[in-house]
Amino acid sequence: MKRFIAISLLMALTMPVLACFWVDTHNYYLYCVCNGSRFKERVEKICDDNWKAYLGSTEEYFWFNADEVIEAAKQKGDALMVSYVQNLKTYLDCVDTEQRKQYDWNYPSKEELAQQQKNLLAVRAYALGKTKSKLRSQHALLYMRCNMMLGRHQENITFWEQTASQFIDTVYKEMMKNIYAGALYKTGREAEAGEAFAEMSDYESLMTLYYKKRSYLAISQHYRQNPNSKVLPFMLEDFVNNAQEAIDLETGTFGGKLFIRDITKQEAWQMVQFCDQVVRDGKTETPIMWKTAKAWIEFLFGEKKEALKDINAAMKLEGTQRMKDNARELHIFITASQAKPGEEFDNQVVEDIEWLEGNEPNTNGQTYRFLSRYTHQVLTEHYANNPVRKAAILSAMSAYCYSGEFTECIDTMSVDYTEQYHLFTNTPGKNKLDKWLKARLNKDYSQQDLEDLIGTKYMRLCQWDKAIQWLQQVPAKYYDESGYRLYALLRKTDVEPWIKRQWILDSEVAKARQYNWTIRENPKLGFAKDMLMQESTLHILKGKALEQRCYNIAVRYAQADFRGDCWWLMRNSQSVNDTLRVHETDLKMKTREMLQVAAQSADPALREKALFALGYQNLYKHSDLWRESVWNEKTFEEEWHVNKQSPQYRAFSALADMEKQHKVSPYVSKCDEYIQFRKQYH
Amino acid sequence: MMTDCRARISLWIGTMLCLMTIGCQRQAVLEQGNAAYYWRTDLRLDTTERAFLKQHHIKKLYCRYFDVVINDEAAGPVPNATISFSDSLPEGVEIVPTVYIMENCMHEPHPGLAEKLVKRIIQINEANAIGNIREIQIDCDYTAKSRKTYYAFLKEVGKAWGKALSTTIRLHQLSMEAPAVDYGVLMIYNTGDPRKFVERNPILDIRDVAPYLKRLDGYPLPLAAAYPVYQWVRHIQGVRVEHTVEAEEILRVKQAVEKYRPSLSRAVITYHLDKENIKRYKPETYEEIYRH
Repeated sequence: MKRFIAISLLMALTMPVLACFWVDTHNYYLYCVCNGSRFKERVEKICDDNWKAYLGSTEEYFWFNADEVIEAAKQKGDALMVSYVQNLKTYLDCVDTEQRKQYDWNYPSKEELAQQQKNLLAVRAYALGKTKSKLRSQHALLYMRCNMMLGRHQENITFWEQTASQFIDTVYKEMMKNIYAGALYKTGREAEAGEAFAEMSDYESLMTLYYKKRSYLAISQHYRQNPNSKVLPFMLEDFVNNAQEAIDLETGTFGGKLFIRDITKQEAWQMVQFCDQVVRDGKTETPIMWKTAKAWIEFLFGEKKEALKDINAAMKLEGTQRMKDNARELHIFITASQAKPGEEFDNQVVEDIEWLEGNEPNTNGQTYRFLSRYTHQVLTEHYANNPVRKAAILSAMSAYCYSGEFTECIDTMSVDYTEQYHLFTNTPGKNKLDKWLKARLNKDYSQQDLEDLIGTKYMRLCQWDKAIQWLQQVPAKYYDESGYRLYALLRKTDVEPWIKRQWILDSEVAKARQYNWTIRENPKLGFAKDMLMQESTLHILKGKALEQRCYNIAVRYAQADFRGDCWWLMRNSQSVNDTLRVHETDLKMKTREMLQVAAQSADPALREKALFALGYQNLYKHSDLWRESVWNEKTFEEEWHVNKQSPQYRAFSALADMEKQHKVSPYVSKCDEYIQFRKQYH
Repeated sequence: MMTDCRARISLWIGTMLCLMTIGCQRQAVLEQGNAAYYWRTDLRLDTTERAFLKQHHIKKLYCRYFDVVINDEAAGPVPNATISFSDSLPEGVEIVPTVYIMENCMHEPHPGLAEKLVKRIIQINEANAIGNIREIQIDCDYTAKSRKTYYAFLKEVGKAWGKALSTTIRLHQLSMEAPAVDYGVLMIYNTGDPRKFVERNPILDIRDVAPYLKRLDGYPLPLAAAYPVYQWVRHIQGVRVEHTVEAEEILRVKQAVEKYRPSLSRAVITYHLDKENIKRYKPETYEEIYRH
């Protein structure tokens, strides 16, 4: 609903707005006082059940087939049903003609459209003649449907008021009432239409009717006309939830204009005061709805003490069961947001979630929305200083998380905490909450995932010995089932990335599949061991041997960097948006440090390689490159501005100076970027 | 048959295009005039929109009739979101039925698709009493992968339709050979990389247009220019993004493209006609966009 409202309202924006964005959070609307059973789903299910009962069908997924029903009716000798369904089929064909206008290559011709009108009139006449038969409700509905398609709305109003409204309660009568409400709307009787749609919980129609009447002023006027109007819960729910958007805008959480509709803070506050007045008036039969609305708006505005006082008061007031449940839900949210850490709160969390999940069948999705927001805005905030508990909550509440939220949490926490989490998952719980969490931990994340992650985290810190301790527990098979197995199979860490890019060729992939290549050794463990060996003996080397070793280590750092070809050593995936994270060594910087040593070599071949490597773009952020592109407003040309202070410029200039003494290797002289550099360097 | 068709097209170009000579006399140029795209699913103009058409002397409305999409590979391309007609256009405003084709529909040839498409346009016109249609337009973001199939498809459409046919040309398509149509509409929007939405406006940014400017002069088809006046709301990697283009940016781009191809000032289209878009910019901005 939130998204629907958002999209609908954004279409209606009248003011120009600047570019803006927000992260798709768990900020679900929580004020939910309307009956969850929606008109469309409800009537469709009853109709299907009726047909299934008539046909004796036990199929779970039922699809109405007129011919099948006609055949069954013939076998039963039910002539009235045969004629009804035959006419219903003709009506549905008319609907189909209408649909063909949308989705069929064969757009209906003028003649077909004329025939459609003719058929509708014939079915209408037939149906009207059978409104005193045994199947009166069905025929009456068919009659009203034909009128609706023919635009005869006044006739539908008259028919309902004089005839159909007297029929016994059936799903067909409810559908007729819906058509009647639509006819009221089409003939300008909007208020009556609104009441009728609200009685039926037809929110799609209500949204159409009240699209532009969802302000404090409209709601207060509506209340004054009828304090117990059935439209009020819908209007109030919509207002409160949209006020949330205005409040999010006020807090500026995401920087830009976060907009759904133009409810201002002032307007929301007027509503808060009005809610109090309504409760004081004593005219409403559902004061709980108003008091809860007040509490929730206050809470959203940061008036937490007032909110707590009002939600406590709301819990004692009268309203429908949904309104009472909603008050209890928001009571949980508001109290938990202000709770002090401790055993008492921990126990309360378990109790609250068990009640919420137990009430799930009655809430039509509200439980999911609530628990999603509660998990991310209350629980993870409450346990922010306890990363292990926070990770356990995300795992235990994974049903209310987007995919990847737990893995992102555990992937970005420090390695110490990750080790503590590993211990947590392997020891019995000490209190009620921990026991409850352990019983619900998401089994999709295995112990091997955790061991690989801890080992990888030590690799990210270049603590190779500790990485080895963890990685040696992970078998090669684990990596053979990973998403990056092809990269692990086909790429090598000792290839100089500034000279050769390790593209994955289709032919190699085909070969790997054809011969069923498998990873036989843990590739991360192998890399960690190699690095440990290379670095641990570095201090005993001197001269050329030291410079060559530094160059070799630089190659490996550059490959293992998140921009390198062997990114899979440190990350599970690669994206253009990747950046250096916390708890991660800057491998680009370490690469440059090593290359600086190698670049001092007296060996011209090694010096040339190291200087060329220092010109490698991937080792720098944008501002450290030797040139940048700037748009010239006057010439309509892109211009290159040279940055002589940049490290890449210094590396290329050293290489160019070297070129004055010696002929450079083809990998240097053929490099496009270096050629561009040479054009302006003298 | 082919000769007949070519003759028809030549004759049409003769009447439709004003074959003025410019510079090196390579390109034909379009008749001078203002136009707009209409991209909603119900043709219904309110008073603001009608006033806009009148105020800016808009004589042509490129009206999206339906999309062609592939929902199910086995079923092949099908129409989607067809327009309905609750209203008629003001007198003197010509309607150009426009069909948007999803690029993946052109990954392989679909025999008979062009005929079905043209027949559907004709049926829509007949059933809704829309007469005097002189031209249709096909919109497709074709790529190197779909270009050949799309161009062959356009030829079939031209043959089945028998009157003027135009297509949209995106900036990146300027580097390809031109399709066999009477003219192209240069879509000067959706120019940026959506992944870099924080750095640049993906609807329009002069820096994204710049690399294509030098291709404008040599492009052999007559071209009209279409500029964005819309707001764009979408989700990118879980982030909700809203964009509009500053008036200054539109005018900056107009100045740049017209410097490289002056004839682009002759036929100007805005995308798209809508009350909200009309209010988004000052009337003076629209006057500048439509300046010839």
